[in-house]
Amino acid sequence: MNAYSRRDFLAHQSMGFGSFALAWLLKQERAQAKPKSVDHKPHNDLLPRESHFEPKAQAMISLFQHGGPSHMDLTDPKRELSRLDGVEYTGDIKFSFVNEASKKLMGSPWSFKAHGECGTELSELLPHTAEIVDDICLIRSMHTGANGHEVSIRYFHGGIPGVLGRPTLGSWLVYALGSETQNLPAYMVLTDPGGLPVDGVTNWSNGFMPALFQGTVLRPKEPRILNLQAPAHLQGKFQKQNLDLLQTLNQRHLEQHPGEAELEARIASYELAARMQTAATEALDISQETEATQKLYGLDNPKSREYGTRCLIARRLVERGVRFVQLFHNNQPWDNHSSIKTGLPAICQKTDQPAAALVKDLKQRGLLDSTIVHWGGEIGRLPVTQEQGSPEKAGRDHNGQGFSIWLAGGGIKGGMAYGKTDEVGHKAVENVVTPNDYQATIMNQFGLNYEDLMYVASGREQIITANRPAKVVQDILA
Amino acid sequence: MIARLATTVVLLASTIPSLTATSSAAEGHPSDLRFERDIQPIFREFCFDCHGAAEELDGSLDLRLVRFLTKGGDSGPAIEPGSPEASYLLDRVKNGEMPPGEAHVPEEQVQILEQWIAQGAKTLRPEPETLGPGIPITLEERSYWAFQPIERPEVPEFPEAERIRTPIDALLRAAMPEGLQFSPDADRGTLIKRVYFDLTGLPPTQEEFNRWMTLTDENWYEQLVDAVLDSSHYGERWARHWLDVAGYADSEGNTVKDEERPWAWKYRDYIIRSLNADKPFDQFITEQLAGDELAGPLQGDLTGQQIELLTATGFLRMAADGTGSGDNSAEARNKVVSDTIKIVSSSLLGMSVACAQCHDHRYDPISQIDYYAMRAVFEPALDWQKWQTPPQRRISLYTAADREKAAEVEEEAKKLAEERTAKQKEYMEQALQKELEKYEEPLRRQLRTAYETPEKERTPEQTQLLDKNPSVKISPGVLYQYLPDAAEDLKSYDKKIAEIRAKKPKEEFIRVLRETPGHAPLAKLFHRGDHQQPKQPVEPAALTIALPDAGSLQFPVNEESIPTTGRRLAYAKWLTNPENPLTPRVLVNRMWMHHFGTGLVSTPGDFGKLGDSPTHPKLLDWLAVEFMNKGWSLKQLHRLILNSTAWRQTSYPDSQMSQIDPENRFYWRKSLQRLEAEVLRDRMLTASDSLDRTLFGPPAEIKEDETGQIIVDGPQKRRSLYIEVRRTQPVAMLQMFDAPVMDINCERRPVSTVATQSLMLMNGEFTLAQAELLAARATNQSKSIEPHVASTLPVLPEPAEEPWAFGHGQFDEASGKTREFTPLPHWTGSLWQGGEKRPDPTIGWVFLTNTGGHPGNPKFAAIRRLRIHDDGQLSITGSLSHGSENGDGVRGLVVSSNSGLLGEWRIKHGNVSTNVHSVSVQPGETIDFITDCQKDENSDSFNWTVTATLKHADGETVFDSERNFHGPVEADSYDKLPAQILTAWELAYLREPSPEERQLALTFVAQQLEELHRNRSGVAEGKTPSQQVLINFCQTLLNSNEFLYVD
Repeated sequence: MNAYSRRDFLAHQSMGFGSFALAWLLKQERAQAKPKSVDHKPHNDLLPRESHFEPKAQAMISLFQHGGPSHMDLTDPKRELSRLDGVEYTGDIKFSFVNEASKKLMGSPWSFKAHGECGTELSELLPHTAEIVDDICLIRSMHTGANGHEVSIRYFHGGIPGVLGRPTLGSWLVYALGSETQNLPAYMVLTDPGGLPVDGVTNWSNGFMPALFQGTVLRPKEPRILNLQAPAHLQGKFQKQNLDLLQTLNQRHLEQHPGEAELEARIASYELAARMQTAATEALDISQETEATQKLYGLDNPKSREYGTRCLIARRLVERGVRFVQLFHNNQPWDNHSSIKTGLPAICQKTDQPAAALVKDLKQRGLLDSTIVHWGGEIGRLPVTQEQGSPEKAGRDHNGQGFSIWLAGGGIKGGMAYGKTDEVGHKAVENVVTPNDYQATIMNQFGLNYEDLMYVASGREQIITANRPAKVVQDILA
Repeated sequence: MIARLATTVVLLASTIPSLTATSSAAEGHPSDLRFERDIQPIFREFCFDCHGAAEELDGSLDLRLVRFLTKGGDSGPAIEPGSPEASYLLDRVKNGEMPPGEAHVPEEQVQILEQWIAQGAKTLRPEPETLGPGIPITLEERSYWAFQPIERPEVPEFPEAERIRTPIDALLRAAMPEGLQFSPDADRGTLIKRVYFDLTGLPPTQEEFNRWMTLTDENWYEQLVDAVLDSSHYGERWARHWLDVAGYADSEGNTVKDEERPWAWKYRDYIIRSLNADKPFDQFITEQLAGDELAGPLQGDLTGQQIELLTATGFLRMAADGTGSGDNSAEARNKVVSDTIKIVSSSLLGMSVACAQCHDHRYDPISQIDYYAMRAVFEPALDWQKWQTPPQRRISLYTAADREKAAEVEEEAKKLAEERTAKQKEYMEQALQKELEKYEEPLRRQLRTAYETPEKERTPEQTQLLDKNPSVKISPGVLYQYLPDAAEDLKSYDKKIAEIRAKKPKEEFIRVLRETPGHAPLAKLFHRGDHQQPKQPVEPAALTIALPDAGSLQFPVNEESIPTTGRRLAYAKWLTNPENPLTPRVLVNRMWMHHFGTGLVSTPGDFGKLGDSPTHPKLLDWLAVEFMNKGWSLKQLHRLILNSTAWRQTSYPDSQMSQIDPENRFYWRKSLQRLEAEVLRDRMLTASDSLDRTLFGPPAEIKEDETGQIIVDGPQKRRSLYIEVRRTQPVAMLQMFDAPVMDINCERRPVSTVATQSLMLMNGEFTLAQAELLAARATNQSKSIEPHVASTLPVLPEPAEEPWAFGHGQFDEASGKTREFTPLPHWTGSLWQGGEKRPDPTIGWVFLTNTGGHPGNPKFAAIRRLRIHDDGQLSITGSLSHGSENGDGVRGLVVSSNSGLLGEWRIKHGNVSTNVHSVSVQPGETIDFITDCQKDENSDSFNWTVTATLKHADGETVFDSERNFHGPVEADSYDKLPAQILTAWELAYLREPSPEERQLALTFVAQQLEELHRNRSGVAEGKTPSQQVLINFCQTLLNSNEFLYVD
């Protein structure tokens, strides 16, 4: 039957399409992301689309570090801070926890050393990250201007500090570029077995875009994709029998409505769903990885096994054409208000090796050139002590004035440390980078002009940076 | 200075020549370019902001008239007609200097500019002598279709054979190209369903359906339409449409908390009631825009009428508003105002006026002054400088009597509250004292003094001292950080106080927009839309372009005869005036869209240049006139549309006409429509007979499940319309099928088709639960099948014995086979044994559990039996273990009824693998897993789990002795299954299956039963195979296209 071959063709093309998309498909055209124009009829499909210009990156893995990693203890050595340890800070400072606030400066309890050919200094807490310094660009001058977690988280994801209801970076990329895979969601989120991160599901919201552009949550335990697996009693032969009956009924229905594109698309979507069940299951099966690879990601170590598993899954997903993958922790483990001396090493042991392994592994497979890896939180921490009664229990309060993140791959310069905070690490003072700059830069690496990628929502032309000041950080591009 | 809405229409001739359409130069007139038609749109988009729209002109250059262009500005003439190379303007545009910033004039438009100059910079007509402020509205802009007066078109006549039932049909037919005509009417069953879904969003009940199917009256169809229009579910369905464009939500939005918006549902219920009552739509609009102005003075207890009118203004309170829940900044307030204007304009004007907030509209002739004139209409009630937060705007429905009773209760609560205050003070002191102990005197005393000194009276030294020791700054908000127990104690006070207050009469509220009497501010034009740069005040007025012949329409600034300003009332009157070209068209277009899936204008919220043109302009006008003539009755409009041939025709495409018009733009058939999210969910609930048909009331609450998906909290039975709409927490199933996530409002829903929808329908809990309920309903309602039908159906297999059986017996060493097999008679709830007690007087110790068991004496071995249903190759893996060090251990045997002993193992205090390599088996064969005691049955507890894999022609089936272990199984019968299957079909689809479909359905049943006989893992716990097949069948029906789409 004629419908069959067309269906098969459709099934190959995309995860979802409306009837408009279908028409395009039939002409076998690759849809164009129209540069310099406003898409007044937003599309609602995941067809692969051309970027505005030649892209460097095809995919991105973001390792989001909720809570505010303490940059003075990890990535941003401050000799002056160590020298002034215990001395009163004279500058203005904003606290979140007033009852434990103090102005006593606290030097880092950890030592720093230069690594790699580039000589970037990192703390002893990050021995594995130290091995990839020549591949990463460490940005030491991030700035959100706000100390609150949610405010800054939303700034990073959605473009405006504190504002909800906007699509995230992943939504924008998937909206702009569609999907390279037909069998997996284009934008996937890997949550922590311990629970959701701070700010919950809004971390992967599609905002004002259609639901298609929302992050699909890969659960931390089986079933990893919602509704992917049938309940136990339907698995295997039984669901197949049910689907065979369904397709027979739908074929008969289609015969009464010959050429009805939407019905054909619906039939195809069931085939895609069935294929996704297999493809996604395969993509998530890390037992196919060699022992050496598993070891690289720290799967042999109880402290890093879980996070390592997710990093490894992230690589497998990107390999299979997923556009955007983001990993989250439960709650916010980097929020070291107290006992930083024990808390910080613990979370580093969970993340350091897997994050570094991801970069190494992508590189050895030739995927790093086309994949951006991002590591970073929404804020950093203050250079002063947060009093907890004894020095052992001391911590650090929030700091959105200056902190670090790193990027690797996808045309980002390796072996670079960019920007500076002041002498104690409180405020970003040189080459300041905001979340909007970060977004503009990522978009640029995907071959997109962030200002031209518009989405008309409720009659308003929206762009990722919400018309706030932003720039592509040219200095960090290879 | 007050800016009057100066109308700056370029008009020299007193009558407008008949210009029907503005055609772009690129298409029609490359050789004859004219300023008004070809150049002004380019300037509007790129240049007028700085060179014409405002009084201040950049570089003193005004681009509004050609003679201004030739005169030029500070840099000399902008153009030199006939000489592009000498034209400074062109030079600057070409090299990208103009406009400044990111936007650039596209190449083809630059060429038009260049050609136009080359051709001599011609105009269509002489330019006006004088020009008011702002961008002049050209004759071309004025001639745009949406701004033309609505006129009833001539309705053409057609011969009877054309089945022209209504003028709608005549106008559609007349527009059809050669080769197209209306398709035949849909069959009666399809029409009944179509009418119900369209008007009520629900399928007909079985009884309703049967009644209409069997009615012999000639006018059955007209009666059907009338009856369904009278259903109270009609109001629910059409309320949902209106709530989309009104931006309904049960949360405030705009802030992190997205706080709950209580009482919004009162507005939702008002909409349902009004629609059910067929309230004339002009009145309906007027109430929503100005109900407070109609309500008269509010004194004493509110009357029912007043409550209704005030509730209606909830329309203007739909915009997200976080000013009462965390963000009461000037930006937040102004956003509420602009969102409200967006809602009004997209629902009632069909114009995207929002662009004109910052500058004159780039595409449509809507000036910035127009925007602020509209804003001025709402300013008295939505004054950002005298702002009221949502809690301040609500009105209590308390009567005087309620109030009195409440005051008594409050008195009681107050007493306890005073106690609490005293306690808190005490705790604060304790906390302070404790904190101060960390300091030595005299610092301690200094800190205390500083702390106790009111903040404003502190000396700079004191302030500095506290800043240096911030932990001393204890406030009630952070008390919990110092004295956790105290905080708990205070909380228990709060609880008690709340309990007392709960005794008050239940106080209900409505969310109202109203003005403070005597407050009549004008809106100020904001430079670039920035409220921090207010310019001249603007008086309330109608949209200039929408007024006939260049007039202007001012609204009263303050109407003397009523306590309010009367602005919104006047505005509503203008909107609903038959002279208004926009609103009636916008309304009938929206209704058409809901009936046909697409509007006559496919962009229902934007009739401007960025929107689409009408496919049938005459029909649009005819409908608008008819709608007004019939007293703005929505039900009359529905009746008219539903009685048309266009609506009644079949959706099945004709292959020849498909070739001519594949997208059905000419309405030669009814387009298929996918059920909207709510309708899909409600249809499932109806099919499973679990729908709660109660109208009105507070929303059904939602919750987040463990995966972060939002689902309905508790019973899932109410219509989807009543599910809580939380802006940041859209219900997963509704969102998946394109229900709007309310940012501002939704003018038109997308229709998506994605694999994740399929996954949700295949595996999601809601569908599975509804399938089970539908199966139960089919079981209850099924009747016997007539014999002549039954005889044609495929024969179902007989119920098969369970693959596994649990018994005792003995291995016959001589024959190598099982001597006898007797089922164990007693099930304890977890294991099989000989009787209530163990040892059983007759058979002794023998028992079997899911993982093992115990043999009796040598005559009573424990036997786990596997029955084979297929030809194939069987292989077995397993592990037998015996734990005790005492006795003589056990023996395990695997014995086939056909080929005898397949394996034998003896084990004591240890374990052994019991693998059997591939062996051929046949249907009816049994494989016994025999455990005997050898000689001595003492200390013979064993574990023996096996996995048997059978490879057969159809694939492979895995038998797992542990997973498949079970107690007694209810005897299954398939006698009634065919009737249940056919009943389920009718309940889901509301039609009988054809003979072919019966075959198909029962062939599926027979095949799946066979598979279930092979492999019981397909039967969910607590179900029999026949029940499981029925459920699976029901689920397939709920997933099918016939269920998801309406013909």
